[in-house]
Amino acid sequence: MFLTRSEYDRGVNTFSPEGRLFQVEYAIEAIKLGSTAIGIQTSDGVVLAVEKRITSPLMIPATIEKIVQIDKHIGCAVSGLVADSRTLIDHARVECANHWFVYNQDMKVESVAQAVSNLAIRFGDNDSDGPAMSRPFGVAMLFAGVDKSGAQLYHLDPSGTFLHFCAKAIGSGSEGAQQSLQEAYHKSMTLDEALKTSLSILKQVMEEKVSSTNVEVAVITKEKGFTRHPQDEVEKIISAL
Amino acid sequence: MSAEMLAMSEYGRDPRKHHFSPYADNGGTTIAIAGDDFVMVGSDTRLTNYSGILSRNQTKVFPLTEKTMIASTGCWADVLSLYKDLQAKLTLYSQEHHDEMSTPAIAQLVSTVLYWRRFFPYYVSNMVIGLDEDGSGVVYHYDPVGHMEKLRFSSAGASVAQIQPLLDNQLGALNMKDAVPPKVTKALAHQLMHDAFISAAERDVKTGDSCIIYTVTKDGVAEEQVKLRRD
Amino acid sequence: KITYFQSILSYNGGCVVAMKGKNCVAIASDLRFGVQLQTIATDFERVFEVGPNLYIGLPGLVTDTQTVAQKLQYRTKMYEMREGRQVRPQTLMAMVQNLLYERRFGPYFVEPVIAGIDPSTNEPFICAFDLIGCASTPGDFCVAGTCEENLFGMCETLWREDLEPEDLFEVISQSLVNAFDRDASSGWGAVVHIIEPHQVTTRRLKCRQD
Repeated sequence: MFLTRSEYDRGVNTFSPEGRLFQVEYAIEAIKLGSTAIGIQTSDGVVLAVEKRITSPLMIPATIEKIVQIDKHIGCAVSGLVADSRTLIDHARVECANHWFVYNQDMKVESVAQAVSNLAIRFGDNDSDGPAMSRPFGVAMLFAGVDKSGAQLYHLDPSGTFLHFCAKAIGSGSEGAQQSLQEAYHKSMTLDEALKTSLSILKQVMEEKVSSTNVEVAVITKEKGFTRHPQDEVEKIISAL
Repeated sequence: MSAEMLAMSEYGRDPRKHHFSPYADNGGTTIAIAGDDFVMVGSDTRLTNYSGILSRNQTKVFPLTEKTMIASTGCWADVLSLYKDLQAKLTLYSQEHHDEMSTPAIAQLVSTVLYWRRFFPYYVSNMVIGLDEDGSGVVYHYDPVGHMEKLRFSSAGASVAQIQPLLDNQLGALNMKDAVPPKVTKALAHQLMHDAFISAAERDVKTGDSCIIYTVTKDGVAEEQVKLRRD
Repeated sequence: KITYFQSILSYNGGCVVAMKGKNCVAIASDLRFGVQLQTIATDFERVFEVGPNLYIGLPGLVTDTQTVAQKLQYRTKMYEMREGRQVRPQTLMAMVQNLLYERRFGPYFVEPVIAGIDPSTNEPFICAFDLIGCASTPGDFCVAGTCEENLFGMCETLWREDLEPEDLFEVISQSLVNAFDRDASSGWGAVVHIIEPHQVTTRRLKCRQD
């Protein structure tokens, strides 16, 4: 890829003669530096599990927040430039709140992904609807939620592409993790199985030894909506691996 | 001021002054009654301007989706404008969300749309009627600035004063000792609606000519027209 | 300047309805006496006995209700003494017309309703007036007061020809109560008089108090 580097990799508004937008491709590369995040969709709900990189023993692990709540029925895991994700998450939350205000109903997960995608591809487009980002966002996101068509998992990348997945891994360990997911996933997977699978894959791909302090887990079900998985529960699953 | 001057138009009295009045009252009456698996909505078909009759055959009930309708009376220009606005919003919604909007969602949207014009309102009395996600009949009633109430039955428009107490009594079983609200069948709803329109046409000049009654079920919308007095 | 005051006729609230039946008539009213939206009393009767089989309801401005009631009492008593007989409903109608039209350009703000049975023929009689004495004598029912439109809707649907006294009571009661339940200016109890040639039955109705 870096062989084709040219003057076309500067501006975000210019295609290269081969028809590529380098800044978007580089942004996608930035995700591969991020911590691993996994999402698994089952019929009962969706599991999100992410790795937290504890870069210093003096750092308080709880301050790292890579799984966030968008609405009571939707959660989101991010990987890449986490700071960039804040803007997108804010946007998703506002869209959900507005959807509730106007229609008095829960927004579909697909619609949330669509709404965030609309913002993600507005880079370099300052005159249409107020100021926009000068570059593509450097994050990938996993939107997990339960709506009227059941449990849903959507993946969004910096190009604005969003796709529905049964199971998806993003971040530095995503290649290996996605391979493992493909082997482990089956349609009749239960929520508990999904929890176990996600943590065992994280264990495989993480450089650090996996523990309840360096992973973050959330579950979204029809009954309870978005819930963070308690640390002691996570510990139990990890110790049983 | 002399009687002659009062009879003149405003700009005739003083050509420098002219106040624009943005609203008209074009009359019209609507009734809606919900059942367990259907909802019936009817309107008279008279359209008036003061004592003039603009139309004897104009329904005030409009389809929004397969299982949702809106009944609007008041300023006819606003009725048409509001309906177009809603149609556009519904189309946009179905394209954006790949789904037909549910009746409760439309109900909330109508409330929001009306409140957006809080300081220059649509001069319209609205009811949204349809089947909810469980397939049972629902009626939502609004004031012109979007206050919404979910009901089992309601009336709106010119003859609401004549009709609403009757519905309270016959369907709400109010002021009847030991009475319980009756099971609302299509036959009962139809009979009551017809009687109510006949009574309203008898006493209100803004209601008459005929009434169109729509029955919304899971199989679609059935339509029936019944004559009323035309004087 | 914005004022919410609308009409003197609806300043105190209140309503009256009268109905014909088979060899009987009924007249009923609410019991509220208010000042605009504030309720002052809930035992204010605005239907007055004029003779053994003759009643008049005077909805409108309460001060005028009382004045007109007293003036009518004076005139009917004078009539009875002078003539040595009871006032007939038709006669009362003429008296009310005269009384009201005397104040053509400064009217009493009442819209009276008469219900009675003619003592000589036993014919049921009802009539209603506007505030300057224009009478109408319909064959079915008369309504007046702040919930007049509501009463029209109820009566138009519930009233039938040749109602027996018990049925007439039910019809007039349901018409009145359900009509004024949708009106903030009327209600707070009701009184119904069923007038038959040989007896008058007066009942108070239990109803919502708001």
